Amino acid sequence: MDGSILDAMRYVGAGLAMIGAAGAGIGIGLSVQGALTGMARNPDTYGNLLTNMILGIAFSEAIAIYCLVIAFLMLFKVV
Amino acid sequence: METQKRTPWRRWIVLALMIAGFILGGIFVPVQPEIAVAAEKLIEEPIAENFLGFLGPLYLVNTLPTLAVTLVLLLLIAFFANRSLKQSQNTDLVPRGIGNLVEAILEMLYNLTEGSAGKYAKMIFPWFATIMIYVLFANLLKLIPGFESIGVLHHAHGEGHTIAEIGGGWANLLPAKVEEGGYILAPFFRGISVDLNFTASLALISVVMIQVIGFRAQGIGYLSKFFNTRRMFKVPFFGAMDFLVGLLELISEISKILSFAFRLFGNMFAGIVLVAIVAGLLGKFSILPAMIMMFELFVGVIQAFVFGMLTMVFMAQATQGHGEEHAEH
Amino acid sequence: MEALGINFGLLIVQIIAFAIVFLTLNAWVYKPMLDMMESRKQKIAQGLEDARVASEARANAEKEAAKVLAEAQAEAGKVVRDATERAASAGKEVKAAAEAEAVKARESAMAEAELERNRILGDLRGQVAALAIAAANKLVGDTLDEKKQRALIDEFFSGVKGGKVVVAEALSGESAEVTSALPLTSDEQASVKNSVSVKEVSFKVDPAILGGLVIKVGDKVLDGSVAGKLEGLRQTLK
Repeated sequence: MDGSILDAMRYVGAGLAMIGAAGAGIGIGLSVQGALTGMARNPDTYGNLLTNMILGIAFSEAIAIYCLVIAFLMLFKVV
Repeated sequence: METQKRTPWRRWIVLALMIAGFILGGIFVPVQPEIAVAAEKLIEEPIAENFLGFLGPLYLVNTLPTLAVTLVLLLLIAFFANRSLKQSQNTDLVPRGIGNLVEAILEMLYNLTEGSAGKYAKMIFPWFATIMIYVLFANLLKLIPGFESIGVLHHAHGEGHTIAEIGGGWANLLPAKVEEGGYILAPFFRGISVDLNFTASLALISVVMIQVIGFRAQGIGYLSKFFNTRRMFKVPFFGAMDFLVGLLELISEISKILSFAFRLFGNMFAGIVLVAIVAGLLGKFSILPAMIMMFELFVGVIQAFVFGMLTMVFMAQATQGHGEEHAEH
Repeated sequence: MEALGINFGLLIVQIIAFAIVFLTLNAWVYKPMLDMMESRKQKIAQGLEDARVASEARANAEKEAAKVLAEAQAEAGKVVRDATERAASAGKEVKAAAEAEAVKARESAMAEAELERNRILGDLRGQVAALAIAAANKLVGDTLDEKKQRALIDEFFSGVKGGKVVVAEALSGESAEVTSALPLTSDEQASVKNSVSVKEVSFKVDPAILGGLVIKVGDKVLDGSVAGKLEGLRQTLK
């Protein structure tokens, strides 16, 4: 177990950055829940809701992806 | 009746394969591979010192063979589909064989495009379908056995694995690690979607084409989405807000590249990391990674769909003007 | 960037690969497929249009056929009615002709019979005269002047004496019917005609009047017959 404290903090920071993914997960879950409720109530809107749901998921997921990017940046010493 | 006879027979095959997995896992113990974000170099030296004069060295990385395989496969399918479609076009307009399969999938995609893009469907559809099919092939080819596991051995710079010769110039990587003089594996094939170059190139193409289609649909008026000066002089406060929102749109276009690239890459990379870690941790019990492979199949299809779908939706949005949008709804 | 594996050379390679895939798929798959979808849509539309036109044409044809049928029926009805009428009139004509023929035949037969009777009676007249003279000779026992006798008898029978009708008075009218007991000779007929100042004179024979003449002009009857005289005598004797 050698290495500097800086290396350790990089891993810690990457892990902490990924906490942000939790919010994205909650957001995706909520959007899917809303879309599924809508589909169940009115199956005719399936196609429209699916498109918009995927769009919403993509926007939520983008947040998680920013977290992932930050984690990568820390892990692989890009900056 | 027949299926009832056949089903147990197939079950036995699956069980036999599981047992074989146990036995083989005992002989050739799974090694946790070197998890690298970047594609591994098959040859240490670059194949072109300065690619195209100014782009720096180009290495033969292990996504290039996969790229070649994907391209050949796609072109073959396109060729046979083209032949089949041409044949049915010249006869009775009834698609047969591979042309029928291709048409069934593409017609579904086309209807999806037409549903959200309307009259611009013909313009958007080729990009949507190409991105979707290309990403789907890239994601699914990664699951073929042999990918990520057969390759050339390099001398490790730091910690490396010991090897056991199995004859014919081939060697088996052992789980044991040594500090110096060990080896690391650079697989021949690595899924192209586990390469940021692939995902970033697709994201760049997608976002650039979104802007191009926006300009083709709306002309120069498309720029007003980013530099919104329409209400600047009538209602100064909200006009200024609109202008700022337009600038945010510009930033969001750039962040689209990032999110496109990293969404696909992140998902696919997570896939191989998961398989590698589970295989390495479980050692002999290498059944579970097979289940994770199934999940990877699902994720691969979903990500291909999401990538294509998002491109399509963004393109469809770009064709609709900001001002007209309120009038239409 | 190097750590993330982003290499501009590889990026360009990937973009070129995508361009190859895009152009190939566009040229080999999407265009033929969209063309085929388009032509199939057109074909279906064409088929629907054809079906619509055909059904319209069929409806028109049905209407036309109904019209033609109605016309034909009307025509047929008219023809039948005409034929019936024509047949009826023809039948009527035939019947009328037949009836006329029958009437003519009957009339001619009757005339013939009349003629025959008159001839027989005419033949009889000479014999009757001879018989009467013979009987009178027997009765009187004296030979009468044959010529005078014959004139007497002639006068008795014909009522025409010395070229004049005895009974005849001034009768005038359109037509006269002269009835005698025995047929008159043509001389007598001529004298009757002369004495009666009418244009047409028809002669009839009726032995029942025994002798003399009955002349009927219009609604006047001039009875100069023996039977009439006998009747008048009987009336007076009563």
